[in-house]
Amino acid sequence: MEFLADYIYYIGAFGLIIIGLLIVLVKHNLIKVIIGLSILDTGINLFLISVGYLKNGTAPIFSRTDLEPGNMVDPVPQALVLTAIVIGVAILALALSLAVKLYKHYGTLDLRKIKEQRW
Amino acid sequence: MVNPILLIAIPLALAFAIPLFGLISKKIIRYIPVAAFLFNLIISISLIPKVLQQSIVVKISGFQPPFGINLFVGPVGILFSTLIALTGFLVSIYALDYIEKKGSTEKYHILFLILLTGATGVALTGDIFNLFVFFEILCISSYALVAYLGNKAGIESSIKYLIQGSIGSSLLLLGIGLIYGQFGTLNMADIANQINSSSSPALFVPMVLMVTGLGVEAAIFPLNAWLPDAHSSAPSSISAILSGIAIEVGLYAVIRILLTLFNAADFMMFVLFLGLLTLLIGEMSAFKQNNLKRMLAYSSIGQIGLILFAISLKTHFGISAGLFQVVSHTLGKALLFLAAGYMIYKTGSMQISSLNGIGKKMPITSLLFTIGSLSIIGLPPFVGFASKLMVIRASLASGDMLFTILVGIILLGTVIEGTYFFRVVQSIYFKESNESVSRSETPVVGLIPMFIFALLIIFIGIYPDCISKILNAASSEFLNRLDYVRSILG
Repeated sequence: MEFLADYIYYIGAFGLIIIGLLIVLVKHNLIKVIIGLSILDTGINLFLISVGYLKNGTAPIFSRTDLEPGNMVDPVPQALVLTAIVIGVAILALALSLAVKLYKHYGTLDLRKIKEQRW
Repeated sequence: MVNPILLIAIPLALAFAIPLFGLISKKIIRYIPVAAFLFNLIISISLIPKVLQQSIVVKISGFQPPFGINLFVGPVGILFSTLIALTGFLVSIYALDYIEKKGSTEKYHILFLILLTGATGVALTGDIFNLFVFFEILCISSYALVAYLGNKAGIESSIKYLIQGSIGSSLLLLGIGLIYGQFGTLNMADIANQINSSSSPALFVPMVLMVTGLGVEAAIFPLNAWLPDAHSSAPSSISAILSGIAIEVGLYAVIRILLTLFNAADFMMFVLFLGLLTLLIGEMSAFKQNNLKRMLAYSSIGQIGLILFAISLKTHFGISAGLFQVVSHTLGKALLFLAAGYMIYKTGSMQISSLNGIGKKMPITSLLFTIGSLSIIGLPPFVGFASKLMVIRASLASGDMLFTILVGIILLGTVIEGTYFFRVVQSIYFKESNESVSRSETPVVGLIPMFIFALLIIFIGIYPDCISKILNAASSEFLNRLDYVRSILG
């Protein structure tokens, strides 16, 4: 239980990453695959945040003298996650708009039926 | 001295200024990429002598490394940024006419500028998260450009590329997170300073994650399923950029991570075999293609394998040979895709059989295409000969019996390459032509960039010493990690 309590965020993050990868690998519907990509992204964001997380930590504001410097959370991963979320949204938007176009061309989102390009 | 940060800032600013210019006049939009990359080309070339003396470290907003983001303009960075600017400049001249025929152009020019901004950024940055961001800029704009024509094949290839590429970049980000968790820094020099060897599992896992993530864009063998689709369904000017720049930049990132960041000398033997596998699979798949652009795309996979092989020899000679092969592949493959673009436009089909007799209909374009194919095969006096010879000499010079045998595999790859390229050249010149195609040449605007590529191919092929200085400096930058660390951290 001790282990679980200490590493719960990492377990959650890697759980989400594996769920996301699994969805991308096994699902045949394009929308589900895109949802899988989004879950994968969320898992990685959670992982990045947990790298800099401190239990009962405070925000890193150095002008506030009542906050302990040793007790502040690391602000860098939060900045990284902010960037990663923006990139994730861009990919999600592009993927969904491509899905719309794909549906117009093929009349289906089943990836097993979309096989014009092959090796 | 011009600040090298302008190499990234000017194209990026111009990309977002394009809609504003579009309010003034729709006509001037297409000249903006030309102007941006002419500027980049001039700055890059003028920086070369300075960089060869001493690498330039740009500290953004004055933070001393390892704090803040820094750009590192070393010989490798300047080699890549010159190559990107040159290809970008020539391809944007080509696109003045070519892409005009395909409808709306505003989005194309914005995405084109952003794509090459991302590529320049990856080559110049000294911060590992910044590398990820520029990499995503490069990837997202190339997903969109592959789908630019909006036809069935383009959309399908783009969505495939997007799914594989975004899984790759997620793995890259995961690796970066693991590295940050261990070292608490994102500066590449600072991380390299704290890593002596990558044998411990705590370092091996992030290394593999990052190399796998970047390997998707670099088209290393098991990760390259998207490449033939994407390169063949994009507009030809974009295929030239994707094939000549995007995968090379991905490869640069892989090599930078492996050699500079992790000092993964033991891992390189594995990479060497991946390179050989990539070479053989690429060449053999290219051999059985009937579609011209798919054939060129598979040939790019083969060439990437060759570059990876040369660099994984991890000798001074081997790395400069690999970088020389990068230059030769960029020039040759860009020329081939550009020439193929107008040939396909004219015949209306990508099948190789439809090119029968086109040598009489488009004599200059066909001649330029032939120069490009001979250079990729590696015949003298073209640049491909000089670079392939150097790769083979490098692997023989390493003195190991194993490498002498592996040279045989490379030569086998070259023979296969020769077979399929000669097949195309044969149908261009020696087969009965289809009478329905009228005799008309590529417009002059399209011919000029192809001519410049062909001249460069012949010039560097006859006189390879003109770039040997920068190649040698670049290979010492990859090999001497400590110099890299010292020049940034001081």
